[in-house]
Amino acid sequence: MRRHGFLRANALSLGFGAVFLATLLGQAISGTADYNAQQIADGLEPVSFLDYVTSSSFAVDVMENWQSEYLQFFLYIFATVWLVQRGSSESKKPGEEGTDTDEDQLVGPHAREDSPGWARIGGWRTAVFSRSLGLLMAALFLLTWGASSVAGWAAFNNEQLGNRQDPVSYAGYLMEADFWNRSFQNWQSEMLAVGSMTIFSVFLRQRGSPESKPVGAAHAVTGETAG
Amino acid sequence: MTRAALSGKGAVLVLLGAAGALLTGCASIQQSDVEKVATTFEDPSGSPEVRCGLLAPTALVALEKDQSSPCAEAIQQLPLQGGEVSRVDIWGGEAQVRLGGDTVFLTQTHAGWRVVAAVCEERGEAPYDCEVEGS
Repeated sequence: MRRHGFLRANALSLGFGAVFLATLLGQAISGTADYNAQQIADGLEPVSFLDYVTSSSFAVDVMENWQSEYLQFFLYIFATVWLVQRGSSESKKPGEEGTDTDEDQLVGPHAREDSPGWARIGGWRTAVFSRSLGLLMAALFLLTWGASSVAGWAAFNNEQLGNRQDPVSYAGYLMEADFWNRSFQNWQSEMLAVGSMTIFSVFLRQRGSPESKPVGAAHAVTGETAG
Repeated sequence: MTRAALSGKGAVLVLLGAAGALLTGCASIQQSDVEKVATTFEDPSGSPEVRCGLLAPTALVALEKDQSSPCAEAIQQLPLQGGEVSRVDIWGGEAQVRLGGDTVFLTQTHAGWRVVAAVCEERGEAPYDCEVEGS
């Protein structure tokens, strides 16, 4: 087996990690400018970069996007166990719906020498490990949605006071259109993205990408990705 | 568990505790500042100059324009009823103080908390109707 350096072996994670930090910084800088433009228009004083990035306004803008991304992955990971799309590189073949046999999944007595310990051990640990990716995404979704609701509540009340209106309780905020509008507008875009990726991958190709079928694969071929 | 992990956990707990204490402390200092500005502004026996100095610039301009007189004179014509503070709400750089006889809105400036709206009448879910109001 050829060995690669650390950077090359982890380029995908590191690359996206770096782009994530750069875009988060971009959001913080442009968000500060946008917020201050509004402050000046309202006859209020501009805030510092530090004040903005620690404000509920920045927090809710970040959290409402994070929660929808984790919801997308959580739903997609669980949905693709049971739902298929004929011809999609994102799907298992029709007839393969479900959680597979222990033999196919290399768990318990079928585990290999290099299988993770919790895949081999059986009982609750194997049950949890068998669903750990989806469960982590679900937990991160709930955590970030909760954080989005708290930050949204603070930002909403800040706006209420600026409009000379009474602030609302947390329970009251969960009944406000603002909270649900923020949630749904992010959720719908994520569902569109995964839905269109599923169907586009039936008919379109990206040479060399594991997200695509090989260029010459038939449209009807399901679940085969380029090596 | 290793010693490093234990001390790591301890450090996290200490940090969380310190952050909590800092936030609670900041909130309590802010609450007392906001309350003090609102009650000083509403106090009819206070110096008009000092009370005018507690208005946000936009509210000061609006008051002088509405009353067609300098703030120190105009402020004495306002039906400011003050009273006991019954509730203080602070959300980001905006605050609301409910007193026995008035509801006051404040905004945070580099000079501290300043009154941006006063002599406000509640109108259900609609914005308060305020006699003194900056933008």
